[in-house]
Amino acid sequence: MKVFNMLLPMTMEGLKVTLGVFLITLVLSVPLSIIVAKLRMSKNKLVAKIVGIYIYIMRGTPLLLQLMFIFFGFHYIPVIGYAFSRHQAIAVAFILNYTAYFSEIFRGGINSIDVGQTEASTVLGLSKRYSFMKVILPQVIKNVMPSIGNEVITLVKDTSLVYILGVADILKAAKAVSNTYSTFVPYIFIGLVYLLIVAVLTKVLDNVEAKFNYYR
Amino acid sequence: MTLIAENLNKSFGDTLVFKDIFFTVDKGEILVIKGKSGQGKTTLLRCLNYLEVLDKGSISINGKYLCKDADGKVQYAEKEDLKAYRLDIGLVFQNYNLFPHMTAKENLLLAPKFLDNMTEEEMEKRAKELLAQLDISDKENSYPYQLSGGQQQRVAIARACMLNPSVLCFDEPTSALDEETRGQISKIIKGLANQGMAIIVVTHDSSLVEELEGNVLTMGK
Ligand SMILES: Nc1ncnc2c1ncn2[C@@H]1O[C@H](COP(=O)(O)OP(=O)(O)O)[C@@H](O)[C@H]1O
Ligand SMILES: [Mg+2]
Repeated sequence: MKVFNMLLPMTMEGLKVTLGVFLITLVLSVPLSIIVAKLRMSKNKLVAKIVGIYIYIMRGTPLLLQLMFIFFGFHYIPVIGYAFSRHQAIAVAFILNYTAYFSEIFRGGINSIDVGQTEASTVLGLSKRYSFMKVILPQVIKNVMPSIGNEVITLVKDTSLVYILGVADILKAAKAVSNTYSTFVPYIFIGLVYLLIVAVLTKVLDNVEAKFNYYR
Repeated sequence: MTLIAENLNKSFGDTLVFKDIFFTVDKGEILVIKGKSGQGKTTLLRCLNYLEVLDKGSISINGKYLCKDADGKVQYAEKEDLKAYRLDIGLVFQNYNLFPHMTAKENLLLAPKFLDNMTEEEMEKRAKELLAQLDISDKENSYPYQLSGGQQQRVAIARACMLNPSVLCFDEPTSALDEETRGQISKIIKGLANQGMAIIVVTHDSSLVEELEGNVLTMGK
């Protein structure tokens, strides 16, 4: 019981970090990724290329390394260098990384929509922006929901990487209590907490998917 | 003349699609452009609707130019004029291209909502009239997947008519229809012509050519 007297309050503190990182990443990355996907598909070759390189780096290196680089290394870069706080560094790294992954999902989703949809919008006199928002994007969201859902669940587990910057999430809480009482129980408990979070998310994602099932 | 098309030329790379095409269509007239598959009928409609760019030629509706020849090169109108031109011509695609996530009525209302050139009541009224005229009033809240091919086509026609264009183009309107619905589509097209639209129909269907009783232009050999 002493184990839980220590573990429960620490878990509550850790949850703030775990859920905080999760929410800020999700809320900012999804809209950003739609913009990045559009830029990646830009007619301007230079813009498309630069965005392509950004996506390549984000997907081609470990998120752990990105976290370390942004916190420990970024302020050494001339001109744009800036010394982020721990929490800022975490937010920046997660948002940059997840925006890259989400944007590739959205790019695939946008490409999967028949060009006839855009052509019908054009012929009706709609602007490109209006057509994208009202005709293309709603259909894209329906198509990409399963893939986005996968990434969202990966994101929950990736939040544990914040330990590298010494920030205490729920996994760090388990580790501290486990070391104090020489027991594995806290790890099992935290495993169940992750499962609970994922169960809730799965339900939410299923509901969102169902919302888009009104047409075929 | 409502629509005047002169000297239209189009190739894709080295492949010539059509050359020196000339035609006019007036209010209330039906022009049927026939030709075998691959003769460039779809491409011609796409050029009229500015989904494809000509190599040479001039196109105007009610005196407003989409493009004209200047020193042997085609010159397209300025942005604002292009917008105005667009509203004067409509296209019913061969596969309709309805918006699958919107009901029939929502498909009709999207363009007027964007253009914001009539009140909510006016657009509702016009949508209801068109759906009634095309005999699909009971389908206004149906999604495209819930409609038969013929009903989808009527929604596409109604959608194209919402902004009351001077010219309406049809790409192979009978290609996806069975015998019974085929007879109805020529009635619908003639009805629209009688109301004063200039109609262009491209088809390889010779019985449709006869039924429409319009002027006939043959593409290709
Ligand atoms: N986007 C394109 N790029 C290259 N060739 C094309 C393109 N669209 C059509 N074509 C070619 O142009 C010719 C005419 O096609 P199309 O206008 O679809 O004919 P139709 O509608 O009369 O069957 C065909 O040879 C076709 O392969
Ligand atoms: Mg064709």
